[in-house]
Amino acid sequence: MTDLHAPGFPRQQVAERARHGTASAFPEAAGYGTTMFGQGPPEPDVPLDAIDRTRLVPPVFVPRRLERLIDLGREPVVSDAELATTIGGFSAPLPVYVSAFGSTRVASGDLGQAVARQAGRLGIPMVIGENIVPVAGYGRMTETAPSSLLQRITEYAAAVPDGQGGVVVQQSTEDADAEVWNLVYSDPAVQPLLESGRLAFELKVGQGAKPGLGGMTLVPREKATALSAQYDLMDVFGAHSDAVLRCSSPGTFTDEILRHQIRLMRNNYPRCRVWVKLPPARDVGEAAAVAWAAGADAVGVDGAEGGTGWAPRAFLGHVGLPLAECLGRIDPQDHCLLVTGRIWEGARATKCLALGARAVGLGRAALAAVDEDPQSGLVNLVECLALEMRMLLSSLGKYEISELGREDLWSEERPGPR
Amino acid sequence: MSQETGRVQLPTPRAHLTSDRTRATLAVQSKFLAGAREFLVGEGFQELLPPTIGPVTDPGARGAKQVDIDYYGHRYKLMTSGILYKQASLLSFDKIFHVAPNVRLEPLETAVTHRHLVEFHQLDVEIGEGSREDALDIAERLTKHVVEYVLVHAQPELAVLGRDLEAFKQILAGPYGRRSHADVVADLQARGHAQEAGAEVDWEGEEIISRAAAHPFFITDYPKGSRGFYDKESTTEPGVLRNFDLIFPGGFGEMMSGSERESDYRNLVMRIRETGENPAKYDWYLTLAREGLPSSAGFGLGVERFTRFLCGLDAAWQASGYPKLPGDPRP
Repeated sequence: MTDLHAPGFPRQQVAERARHGTASAFPEAAGYGTTMFGQGPPEPDVPLDAIDRTRLVPPVFVPRRLERLIDLGREPVVSDAELATTIGGFSAPLPVYVSAFGSTRVASGDLGQAVARQAGRLGIPMVIGENIVPVAGYGRMTETAPSSLLQRITEYAAAVPDGQGGVVVQQSTEDADAEVWNLVYSDPAVQPLLESGRLAFELKVGQGAKPGLGGMTLVPREKATALSAQYDLMDVFGAHSDAVLRCSSPGTFTDEILRHQIRLMRNNYPRCRVWVKLPPARDVGEAAAVAWAAGADAVGVDGAEGGTGWAPRAFLGHVGLPLAECLGRIDPQDHCLLVTGRIWEGARATKCLALGARAVGLGRAALAAVDEDPQSGLVNLVECLALEMRMLLSSLGKYEISELGREDLWSEERPGPR
Repeated sequence: MSQETGRVQLPTPRAHLTSDRTRATLAVQSKFLAGAREFLVGEGFQELLPPTIGPVTDPGARGAKQVDIDYYGHRYKLMTSGILYKQASLLSFDKIFHVAPNVRLEPLETAVTHRHLVEFHQLDVEIGEGSREDALDIAERLTKHVVEYVLVHAQPELAVLGRDLEAFKQILAGPYGRRSHADVVADLQARGHAQEAGAEVDWEGEEIISRAAAHPFFITDYPKGSRGFYDKESTTEPGVLRNFDLIFPGGFGEMMSGSERESDYRNLVMRIRETGENPAKYDWYLTLAREGLPSSAGFGLGVERFTRFLCGLDAAWQASGYPKLPGDPRP
């Protein structure tokens, strides 16, 4: 384990799952037969939001289970609950993907590659985040040190089962200068993914941790001059500090600009899927509708709870809509809505799906899991999450993940019909 | 000329350069350029020498990658198209043309379209204060003139190539047709081809309509989002561009692309954003636009593609002495 930290994030629980997998879905086996279980207070280090306060509420009458019973000729059980779905045009064994980590140094080394290998093994889609190429280069010509982007694509492609998953390459405004998408699209190493329909590009409009701002990283002072032509640099720690803050532009969008950027993506990269990533902005519902109308295969929304990268304290504490409110403001209809924001276990994931999402993204959880166990941490975490989702889905009397709906939820704020 | 699934096998450089067919092809190409210069100079156009590198070039489309070079520590580009420089050159002359080299690292899938080369040339024409009608008129008369010129001056080479001269009659007979992009999309969809309405006509669709055509025709009015930021948007039909492609019959497909140009600073900045780019990249060009660029219309004609048609060749690479197909390392 490295010195990776995630304040406010249930790092310890994620680490347990990365280490012990499905066993972590239950209390310790050693307490069986001697401990009485029942609801206690919420775990103290897990902050609660409106999604956490919402409860999943199984019904007594379960017509969908009856249909499944008739299909099977026996009583359905947990393992009959089917999690397979499509995520932004890709087949996935469960409604989970790995979201972009941002330009933080955390993901640029071995952790990023470990995530890629394990996401590939799992067959779940993986988004590769911003600013990797303009800052670190692509590395096609340097055989000894290919870039983090190319390495992650290659590791993923080597591990992913046929017909499952896909790689999504994100691009922000500064990435456009480096033509990341054009580079990837014309790269021989990426052709197997392209030919099997498992490459997507994600237009980054914003992120959860700092809506309205672009990416921020700390760079060594001696490297700052080289970046000054492309980025805004702020000397926030004083002249004596070696670190300088590098700020990206969030890009300027209107509904017309968003619509045409998506149309241009579809036109320029006809063999790729088109994903769009939105921040938890007040017009997130309208922006999602514009993106889908322009032909986006998926719209991802970062709740304000999300984020792996460097962000100002004021934004972490005070800016952006909570994920629950984003879900309330977006009407996905039949479109693919993807959400992220402190997702690491099955209950929150299942609630997000009941609130309209097609799949949930793992950000900090994926990094923390591979940090705990570089070989199988993410696989273990996702297997535990999958078991929980199967149990929850089955408890709701449903056996297809797409059948989840708002009727499966209750909260004191929105109690519903009595 | 059917779509191949496998890789195209190019001859060795020696076999290619010593082939009678290559020699005849390059000679026809030379005559074609001589005829084009004769026509354009006669129409009052000034020939200029194009730049080959710059801080920025046409952002391109359909996944073609630009080639970056290290220019004293600055990231410069090889030209993918001289369009921005053509507009700027109108500050010196009213009507100009280039014979310009272009380099585009096309996606690997285009290696089998018979119409794509990584390194190719364009006959670039720009008409200051010109409208789309002016550009269509020059385009039609230019292409007819060079076909006649080649018929007169390259008979022996056409004989070596066994070119069926009936194809030339299709070019010279009558005015070129006009079809809107929407009409072509509807036609392709009716033929069972899944052409998207909001997008560029795809490679396969282009070949289908070219094969079905008896005469050359212009496709006009592409939807915004399918072409570069410099193609002017219609003031009366929002979302429709004042542009065109010239399609030749016989499966040869697109010969040229052109448009009325956007020259208004504010519109250019917004259009650049719509392509996802940071306008700062286009600083020199936008500074000229802010100070005032002439309105214009023009086009770029693919020299190797046009030679392919003149010579009746299977593929555009045969019209280059040093062909470079996407992904294929060649001298």
